[in-house]
Amino acid sequence: MSFWRMPLDAEEQGVTVGEVHIIAYRCKGCRYCIEFCPNNVLAESEEFNEKGYHPPYAAKDGKCVNCNFCETICPEFAIFVTEGKPGNLQPADVLHDVKPGRRLQRKRRYGE
Amino acid sequence: MKKTEENDNAAAVNEEPRIGVYVCHCGLNIGGSVDCEAVALSAAKLDNVVIADHQLYTCSEPGQERIKQDIAEHGLNRIVVAACSPRMHEPTFRSCVQDAGLNKYMLEMANIREHCSWVHLHDKAAGTEKSKDLVRMAVARARYLEPQEEIDVPVIKKALVIGGGVAGIQAALDLADSGYEVVLVEKEPSIGGRMAQIDKTFPTMDCSICILAPKMAEVGRHPNITLMSLTEVTNIGGYIGNFSVTLRHKAKYVNEDCSACSDCMKACPQHAPNEFDVGLATRKAIYIPFAQAVPSQYVIDMDLCLNKNGVRVCEKCVEACERKCINFEDHDREETFDVGTIIVCTGVDVFDAAQIPQYQYKKAPNVITSLEFERLINAGGPTHGQLIRPSDHRIPKSVAFVQCVGSRSRKTNPYCSNVCCMNTIKDALLIKEHWPETEIKVFYIDIRAFGKGFEDLFQRSKMEGVQFIQGLPGEIVQRKNGNLRMIGELMMLHELYDIEVEMVILSVGLKPSIGSDVVRKYLTLSRTSGGFFMVAHPKLRPVDTATRGVFLAGCSEGPKDIKEAVTQASAAAARANIIMHRGMVTVEAITARVDESMCTGCGLCAKVCPYQAIQINDRKKAVVIDAACSGCGTCSAECKFDAITMRHFTDRQILAQIDAFTEFEPEKKILAFCCNWCSYAGADFAGISRMQYAPQVRIIRTMCSGRVAQNFIEHAFARGVGVVLLSGCHIGDCHYIDANTFAEKRYKRMRRLMKQNGLDNNRMQLVWVSAAEGQKFQEKINSLVEKLKTVTPEEIKNSMRFFSEREKQRKEKKQKTRAGK
Ligand SMILES: Cc1cc2nc3c(=O)[nH]c(=O)nc-3n(C[C@H](O)[C@H](O)[C@H](O)COP(=O)(O)OP(=O)(O)OC[C@H]3O[C@@H](n4cnc5c(N)ncnc54)[C@H](O)[C@@H]3O)c2cc1C
Ligand code: SF4
Ligand code: SF4
Ligand code: SF4
Ligand code: SF4
Repeated sequence: MSFWRMPLDAEEQGVTVGEVHIIAYRCKGCRYCIEFCPNNVLAESEEFNEKGYHPPYAAKDGKCVNCNFCETICPEFAIFVTEGKPGNLQPADVLHDVKPGRRLQRKRRYGE
Repeated sequence: MKKTEENDNAAAVNEEPRIGVYVCHCGLNIGGSVDCEAVALSAAKLDNVVIADHQLYTCSEPGQERIKQDIAEHGLNRIVVAACSPRMHEPTFRSCVQDAGLNKYMLEMANIREHCSWVHLHDKAAGTEKSKDLVRMAVARARYLEPQEEIDVPVIKKALVIGGGVAGIQAALDLADSGYEVVLVEKEPSIGGRMAQIDKTFPTMDCSICILAPKMAEVGRHPNITLMSLTEVTNIGGYIGNFSVTLRHKAKYVNEDCSACSDCMKACPQHAPNEFDVGLATRKAIYIPFAQAVPSQYVIDMDLCLNKNGVRVCEKCVEACERKCINFEDHDREETFDVGTIIVCTGVDVFDAAQIPQYQYKKAPNVITSLEFERLINAGGPTHGQLIRPSDHRIPKSVAFVQCVGSRSRKTNPYCSNVCCMNTIKDALLIKEHWPETEIKVFYIDIRAFGKGFEDLFQRSKMEGVQFIQGLPGEIVQRKNGNLRMIGELMMLHELYDIEVEMVILSVGLKPSIGSDVVRKYLTLSRTSGGFFMVAHPKLRPVDTATRGVFLAGCSEGPKDIKEAVTQASAAAARANIIMHRGMVTVEAITARVDESMCTGCGLCAKVCPYQAIQINDRKKAVVIDAACSGCGTCSAECKFDAITMRHFTDRQILAQIDAFTEFEPEKKILAFCCNWCSYAGADFAGISRMQYAPQVRIIRTMCSGRVAQNFIEHAFARGVGVVLLSGCHIGDCHYIDANTFAEKRYKRMRRLMKQNGLDNNRMQLVWVSAAEGQKFQEKINSLVEKLKTVTPEEIKNSMRFFSEREKQRKEKKQKTRAGK
């Protein structure tokens, strides 16, 4: 069954949020962290580092769940994550197939 | 146990048939629209009929005595009873003739009630003529009846219960307490079903989980019960006493050592709405649906867990679990085992209220369903028992209930869901108990308070100030502050109302659970128009199904309350117990026999048998494995060399019925072949419901539509029949897996053949009729009568010539092949 309501106890739920730290000069651009991050938090940045690679950056900040996988997988020890302040549950965290509201849909379609 | 008296009856085959015909009045049920005396008189003139009489009630003690006496006195060796449907009283009369020393297969019934008097209530002349035909056909068939020996098969003393709601729990416990091994299969992570979700139960207002949890726990620890949660049925084969069941256990990723300490759950970062709380509370990717769940064990929802596609990204739960019971290597497993009996308790889902857009469900947050209400008012629910409005989490001062949402309406479901009225009254009282000031209005059509203690509860709610307003709202409009305007018409006064409330509770109806589909598919159970499973007889066999050894309990059979569900469960357990206690069942002697001298070893039969019951041996002869043959007769219909005899439904018997049918004015009549399980039962249902249709049709019963050989149909046309109707179960519902697809093939072949040879191929028709589709049968017959009117004498003549010629050629060809061998 697909649910549409935000659960009523959502406010009681703390969400683990990780803070992503990138040691840019160590990155050799293998993209492992970007590919394997389960929440697609990371993306390639525009900047170059000393070695001439594009190091990653936390594109979807706040969506990191502190699973530490990027840290484990990075061959150059160029990324690590620390636990940040717990966040609030957002609809997108719970309702995994949320549809935007009618007004938002219209806005997206006609660019109002 | 009675053994069939094979030896005594062996002689009967060669004996001259001595037939007794008994026409039953069934009070006025038959006698009111059929001249039974005339029917008996016409039967008396038929060859081999020694005695023909009519009685008020043939099934009564004196009626049966009379048959027994006549058998002894007149040396009768075949009995024809013209009465109700054989689906009703065949067992009765079979045991009657058996008592008198005949083999029970020497009985034939002519169905002149469901297929005649009840459907032609106002045309006695036509009804009488039709009855004469039906009796003549039965006598023709009776001449060729042969004694059959039934075999006893051992019953496995182990039962399968599908569905772990309160009904499944009760059935499993009853059987387990009687000493049988029971496997209880539940598709969800925990047993409990709907009852576990409800707060209090009407009419007693007991706490639902408080009375259910001890039973659930008992299931969990009972030495005779194997509980399999998160498990689905993927196949069921076999027959009574010997079903073979295949299940898929879905991976839980947590093993039985789990102590449900919840440490893992706290560590897990992934959230989703909890299905058990109808989405009103959150759960994690590793979760237990509710505190009292049985088995008391966490499971991981892999769709939500971060570790997808075998990549181990997250290990938070693994690190948190001290008992080390999480295993990501877990995978789905299949398991196959045998059981003797099956009890189906697949329960219900609630109606999706969003299907009625004017009620604003899924649009206005303060419109909730009655199931959501149960979780809200429950102390263990998301709000710890506070009834709050979802929009602003405030306790509402006024509440409206809307009844019959998704019930009793042609647009949604036509049936009454049985529990919603009382459920609303219960809910209203619960609100009054906690917040006595709340204004409560119930919008309804009728209040149905029929059970014990129900009316008291209804009166109590009125005394507490609950207002009942007759007339459902036509529309609910949401206001900016989240309040809702109920707009509609008062039924009695024809006045409009427009009432504002702070919260609306939709009393949603019940519908068969999605889990019932797969069970239906493998057990080929019939369903009523509402989709609930059909019992063998609504009054006298209320928990049996048409499939022997399979029983029903709880809401899978129809919407009902807990008490009724439990009563049915105990009844089903008792019925299963009877079979397993005896340890033996006799299976009907309707199986295929190969005549080796005719068999050419072509292997066609083996190819069509849905049960792989035929093998070609090294001498190039077909061999039937008796225990595997279910008796559909498809092989016999397919064999081009008449090498396969279907016991009790032989070619000779069926052709004799066709000959008797075509004796008088065949061009004015319709010949219908109906399968025992669906279309014959559907025609019976039309009778029981007194659905009137044109009297031109005569029905020949076979076990399966796959039994109807093309040469039967050709023979009928050769003898000048106006229209032939072939009918059976819907594709996918066939009682013999897929044997009806062969009926469809033959039908198409017949149509093609007729067209190619310039005949009117609309005279050949096919219809799928389920046991509940009496109306469809009625409509089909009525439309065929229209067709019949357009069939010209030339057309009849042409087809008679064409098909007679073909029959002759076929016979010659067969003789040649046989001679050539
Ligand atoms: C909102 C609401 C309020 C109610 N209030 C009351 C009340 O106050 N008093 C009262 O007497 N009755 C009440 N009822 C009715 C009561 O819930 C039912 O009578 C009872 O739950 C029926 O039990 P059951 O076992 O037949 O079905 P269910 O409780 O529906 O259980 C069926 C079980 O079978 C499982 N299942 C389904 N398909 C499969 C499959 N293929 N394989 C394995 N498992 C499967 C399901 O997951 C489920 O666990 C209420 C019902 C509702 C919806
Ligand atoms: S810790 Fe996990 S979720 Fe956060 S960025 Fe790294 S891989 Fe992605
Ligand atoms: S591995 Fe999966 S279930 Fe376990 S904590 Fe991580 S997301 Fe949750
Ligand atoms: S931490 Fe381990 S023992 Fe505790 S609930 Fe989770 S899986 Fe079970
Ligand atoms: S086709 Fe039907 S009747 Fe023939 S052997 Fe198979 S199951 Fe039996």
